[in-house]
Amino acid sequence: EWTAEPVSTGTTIMAVEFDGGVVIGADSRTTTGAYIANRVTDKLTPVHDRIFCCRSGSAADTQAVADAVAYQLAFHSVELEEPPRVRTAARLFQQSCYRYREELSAGIIVAGWDPRRGGQVYVVPMGGLLLRQPFAVGGSGSSYIYGFLDATFQPGMSRSQCQEFVARGLALAMVRDGSSGGVIRLAAITEEGVERTVLAGSDLP
Amino acid sequence: MEVGAAPPPFWAGGPAPGQTYIPRALGHTDIAPRGTGTGPAALPAGLTLSPMVTGTSVLGLKFSGGVMLAADTVGSFGSLARFRGISRLLKVNDSTVLGASGDLADFQHLRQLLEQMVIDEELLGDGHSYSPRALHSWLTRVLYNRRSKINPLWNTVLIAGVYGGESFLGYVDMLGVAYEAPSLATGFGAYLAQPLLRAELERDRDRLPTREEARELLERCLKVLYYRDARSFNRYEVATVTEKGVELEGPLTLEANWDIAHVV
Repeated sequence: EWTAEPVSTGTTIMAVEFDGGVVIGADSRTTTGAYIANRVTDKLTPVHDRIFCCRSGSAADTQAVADAVAYQLAFHSVELEEPPRVRTAARLFQQSCYRYREELSAGIIVAGWDPRRGGQVYVVPMGGLLLRQPFAVGGSGSSYIYGFLDATFQPGMSRSQCQEFVARGLALAMVRDGSSGGVIRLAAITEEGVERTVLAGSDLP
Repeated sequence: MEVGAAPPPFWAGGPAPGQTYIPRALGHTDIAPRGTGTGPAALPAGLTLSPMVTGTSVLGLKFSGGVMLAADTVGSFGSLARFRGISRLLKVNDSTVLGASGDLADFQHLRQLLEQMVIDEELLGDGHSYSPRALHSWLTRVLYNRRSKINPLWNTVLIAGVYGGESFLGYVDMLGVAYEAPSLATGFGAYLAQPLLRAELERDRDRLPTREEARELLERCLKVLYYRDARSFNRYEVATVTEKGVELEGPLTLEANWDIAHVV
């Protein structure tokens, strides 16, 4: 019965690197069992000006970890007197996710831009492994699109190609996965800033 | 309590038949299921009760002049080949390599520990570095102690190296079981590759294989594993340790032979 189920972001999340930044995307459905608790969730959570995380798994767990990391990063960047590295943010996530691996249900993608290495995507799956990838996908809906992504991904895509790639992947997953749906939230993170878009209803590919 | 709920355990806080017993000292008598996170947060840090992203077999073989390790480059999330570019072979120092199978988050943790140890040792600047045998012994103690606290590092590790002119190949697993042999394999490799490796070694007991023979044998074993292990992948790495040092090759791709498909 749905009142006994934990609130989870059964999800599809994606992030892709391009030269100059990253494109990230997520669906907007939060479920408690089969009931959709929030149909317009924002799963793209900023942890710093140019660093975002895409959250999948338990909504509570990921929000708690993301808040903690955002705090740590804010402190760290004040001490550093420069924008923090994406790798640092990813490492902070990994430390929490690995330390409490038996208590958390969290699959996180950390993506952003920093002056040192440009756009980067790191994935911290359940278990607390840290890995950098040219593109990453996560959440329950990701299972349905591995084939599509393997067939379609090209290294060296431009920003708009990445946005199209992410939007198409998410749309396909959202159709097939009952735990993903709603609108597609996209964000492009570059040196200039963060540009957010929402693809809804008829805008979906 | 609702009607029809299971009766309370026979005695509170003690072992239950068929269940993993977590001693009260660890703060929990029954671990809360993943995702609910209720109760006092007294689980030890990094407790691994079930592996998540895992690596499959690692193979090791001594040859005349050194030792060789081989492993594929995939991290599996259950049956999904999720991360296809992960390196499971680690160069510890100029005389030792380590290959791990099992949970890769624990392997990353182990990698960090080892890298820090090696740095600390270099800082001492006394010309000494960890020998493969020393590392094997250290790792055995670490893994056994973690197992004894019911907080294992869920890995099976092969350590290979050449030190003082002697080659070394050792095995340690998550329970702290440790041994050495001229040929070793973890995971599926223990069933499929080890017999092949041993047959080759026993064919000519007077000598170890040459480097080329060893390399060819390991590739043959990796091919067999690719045919028969559902969690394997056809990209792999090879690490060779000799007197001269460590060479890490990869990622290389296996050529698979499917001719029998036409005959069947």
